[in-house]
Amino acid sequence: MKKFLFYISLIIAGAFTACEDPIDLNVPVGQSYPVLDGWITNEKGVQKIRITMSVPYTQQDPAPVVNDAKITLHDLTSGESYPFNYNNGYYTYDASAKAIGVIGHVYKLHLEYKGEILEGLDTLKRTTPIDSITYEYKSKEESISGKEGYYARFYAKDPAGAVDYYWIRSYRNDTTTRLEDAFSVDAGFDEGIYDGNTFILPIQQSITDYDKPFQLGEKIIVRIKSLSKPSYDFLTQVNEQVNAGGLFAKVLENVKSNMQNTTANGKVKMLGRFGTSAVSRAEVTVK
Amino acid sequence: MKTRATMLLSAIFLLLGATVTYAQQARYTVSGYVKDKQNGESLIGISVGKPGTSIGTVTNQYGFYSITLPAGEQELQFSYIGYGNFKTTIKLQKNTTLDVKLEASSSQLNEITIKGDKQEKAINTINTSINRLDIAQMKAMPTFMGEVDVLRAIQTLPGVATVGEGASGFNVRGGNSDENLILLDEAPVYNSTHMLGFFSVFNPDAVKSLNLIKGGFPAEYGGRTSSVLDIRMKDGNNQKLALNGGIGNIFSRLSLEAPIVKDKSSFIVAARRSYIDVLMKPFVKGDMKDTKLNFYDLTAKANYKFNSNNTLFLSGYFGRDVFGFGKDVNMNWGNATATLRWNHVFTNKLFLNLTSYYSKYDYSLQFSNGSKKSETEPSQSYDWTSNIINYGLKPSFTYYINSANTLRFGVQGIYYTFKPGTGIGTEGDDQHIKTIPDKHALESAVYVDHEYKPNKHFGIQYGVRFSNYQTLGSGTEYYYADTTPGIRKRLIGQKDFGAGEKMTAYSYIEPRASIRYAFNDLHAVKVAFSRTSQFMHQLSNTASPTPLDIWTPSSNNVAPMVSNQYTVGYFFNAPNDSYELSGEVFYKTTDNQLDYIDNANLQLNPQIEADLLPSQGRAYGVELYAKKDIGNTTGWISYTLSRTERKTPGISMNEWFLNRYDRTHNVNIVVSHTFTKRISASANWVFASGTPATFADNRLEFQDWDIPYNSTEKRNNYRLSPYNRLDLSMTLKGKQLKRWKGEWVFSLYNVYARRNAYTVYFRQNPDNPDVKEAVRFSIIGTIVPGITYNFKF
Repeated sequence: MKKFLFYISLIIAGAFTACEDPIDLNVPVGQSYPVLDGWITNEKGVQKIRITMSVPYTQQDPAPVVNDAKITLHDLTSGESYPFNYNNGYYTYDASAKAIGVIGHVYKLHLEYKGEILEGLDTLKRTTPIDSITYEYKSKEESISGKEGYYARFYAKDPAGAVDYYWIRSYRNDTTTRLEDAFSVDAGFDEGIYDGNTFILPIQQSITDYDKPFQLGEKIIVRIKSLSKPSYDFLTQVNEQVNAGGLFAKVLENVKSNMQNTTANGKVKMLGRFGTSAVSRAEVTVK
Repeated sequence: MKTRATMLLSAIFLLLGATVTYAQQARYTVSGYVKDKQNGESLIGISVGKPGTSIGTVTNQYGFYSITLPAGEQELQFSYIGYGNFKTTIKLQKNTTLDVKLEASSSQLNEITIKGDKQEKAINTINTSINRLDIAQMKAMPTFMGEVDVLRAIQTLPGVATVGEGASGFNVRGGNSDENLILLDEAPVYNSTHMLGFFSVFNPDAVKSLNLIKGGFPAEYGGRTSSVLDIRMKDGNNQKLALNGGIGNIFSRLSLEAPIVKDKSSFIVAARRSYIDVLMKPFVKGDMKDTKLNFYDLTAKANYKFNSNNTLFLSGYFGRDVFGFGKDVNMNWGNATATLRWNHVFTNKLFLNLTSYYSKYDYSLQFSNGSKKSETEPSQSYDWTSNIINYGLKPSFTYYINSANTLRFGVQGIYYTFKPGTGIGTEGDDQHIKTIPDKHALESAVYVDHEYKPNKHFGIQYGVRFSNYQTLGSGTEYYYADTTPGIRKRLIGQKDFGAGEKMTAYSYIEPRASIRYAFNDLHAVKVAFSRTSQFMHQLSNTASPTPLDIWTPSSNNVAPMVSNQYTVGYFFNAPNDSYELSGEVFYKTTDNQLDYIDNANLQLNPQIEADLLPSQGRAYGVELYAKKDIGNTTGWISYTLSRTERKTPGISMNEWFLNRYDRTHNVNIVVSHTFTKRISASANWVFASGTPATFADNRLEFQDWDIPYNSTEKRNNYRLSPYNRLDLSMTLKGKQLKRWKGEWVFSLYNVYARRNAYTVYFRQNPDNPDVKEAVRFSIIGTIVPGITYNFKF
């Protein structure tokens, strides 16, 4: 619900000529840590895991890749193991024949790095299909953001029972860069209130970048990823940290990793997260 | 504990007994009310004294005074800045009631010098750390968008800071913004700002004066640890009908005051409304159509004087902020307060004020897909409400024993109901409700306070307050396992309590004392100590509190805040009253300030206490203040050098870290100058060290995001660039027509258009996500002009 407050503060701030200026900060170089970006899904095709070293925030070059780790994914429910091999920036496993992820299974990522062992767990939860994506043209005057273009909505329904957590991510044309992220519990913002219902309007509308709405000929892609509660907590915290502007800015907090160093007296501290999701996907081209 | 209390009380009465016996020659008491001649407003803080002696007193918050003098012919003088001097001679042969009407000086231009004792001057009061502002002083200051603002005015005083413009709340002597007790005619106000922090909720047309108490708290006040902002409303003109108003570029004001029965009864009704959305209406369509963005408030008060011993006051406030997008999203919040007071004079020496009040703050958020849904879609709506309600009763007595001794005592009771939140979701006929159960608490206090002024040089005011706090059922107590500090506590048990059943209780003895020693008419020193406790906490982990941040009561998991403050001050009053100076040093410690685990969930969370962390706070500083009240040029300069820190297990490596509202240096200069009868101007310059902030020294590439990360793990390890701003304003008074008085106020806020940083945050450039940058967010990025036309009829 704070999102609304955020919009209001933007409008008021706009009325009072608020402004944002990129500035140079003289922050001493901090300690660099390895960062795990490992999100496994139930989709077929190549599954990728990436490890990089953290870099000073304003360093523009991509973070250096860590290529000397050994990674194995274990399905603790079925007992299967999937070795991931380093290749061109990523640790990959080709799941073209059979998807790795199975709903309800528990997964453990086992990682060897600098002679130490790190492990993380997650449970793959159910997702829900996207019924449709619609869009509507709005002129400059009609849009809240004052930008002309197509504003999209997606329709999906939360399955009744159990608390479900979702990560909705939209893309423009292809899935190489993210567009918008939204998070939902049981189709709403809080558990229980919309269990078994259609995703509520603010979430339906969350897939458009209001500063750059979709244009004619562009493809709107939406993916809904299921989340475990710990993954939901982690990602919503990430989302707050990467959208920290405005009157009611969240103070900077460090996001906590789920990768535990299991080596006795282990020294390696790894940031990032290992997570698993079931994915549903839909797309539509603006005509 | 009981024995300690008894001992303290006996000590007080022993001292009183001693002073009473030595003062046993024929003496009589003169008492009464002091009012303004033109409009009948009771006058607060008027000096009443015997010229040429140190004998004197000041009128209380209701304009009442009582002074005891030897029998015989006595001269009495009533004086206050802005008012002429009134002298009278009375033949004292019995206790006498003397009501006085003072006339405001006709011309602001004539230098007003007051001879005699100035009891209300800081050098002469026993209390330290009190700042008083009249509405006239606030009106003389430069404004934001042409509007006189109570909260902006107090931010120019020493010891008061804020995290930035537009931030709701203020910070006094290093305290958090929820540690201020904001009283409007004695009813607590929970959200003191409109429009998320830009304007205060107090309508200047209905405000008479304010007192800001930062330390050395009299025993009468409790329930908050940092400050008391005591705002008093006007009574309403009991002489003739008066209309006041103003038309500005953000909102307009109108107030009406009139006698109901001349000299006996009057009322005032004052209203404001902003109208950006109304003005915008013809120009918007589509999603912006039906956009609501406004606030309004209504302040009203009526009084009735039954006789010289009994007066009744009824006052109320209702305000609302309303925001909406189209027909589908609606949010609103606001305060409502009501106060009923009875002033009763038992004898010339014993005064009672009985206050009962009601205060409520609530918010509501709603949205529906009504206008946006397709035909096949089910209708959906969501409704979220939360509130806090207080009922208070506060009889307070003042016993004017003799010219050297005044005793104040009373009891207080507040019953609280907290509704942390109810969310109702509907889809078609399907409805789900999530309710966080109501919480109830009773806060009560007994206090006694003795003021002893044996001579011109020495004065002491000391007292004690017994505070008791009790959470009451129905409700649930949750029990959590001890865990690593900084992570969510694990629930290990819970216990339900029935309606009215006693749950957790806390009680405190709070000693208070202030001592003044004056070397002569020019120099005085004061020392003070006070302990205060607080049982309410506003849960907020953003840069500044939001209107949705709920208040939560102390409980078995959340211990009350307890603060000890020590103050030493030096006060100087220049001969002829041309200016006054003061310097104060304070040191304050506070236990159990609240902090939060990372990623705390503060909304609609029944287990909210599992996410709270107790911290220790400390603050210290020096405040310098110079003030010139008379002449064509008036104003003040305040400078504060201070530090405020806290230590929270689990945060910032368990080390002391600076609070978000720490400002090392804070300078305010306010100058007003009257050029001619019709033209006056004022300027205000502010300089403050930048607030502390946590900066990222790393970014983590993760799922196409760049997550800021602080590898030092230290909170608030940097500072934003210093804040500084100049405001100017000019007032042009129109020619006075028969009864109509008009004036134009032109103001410029942030004259040199400085982009002061409110926060610095880290982001991927929205146009090019590959570019990672640190961004300075300024709430006001340019010069903001304002024009207001004020009128009086």
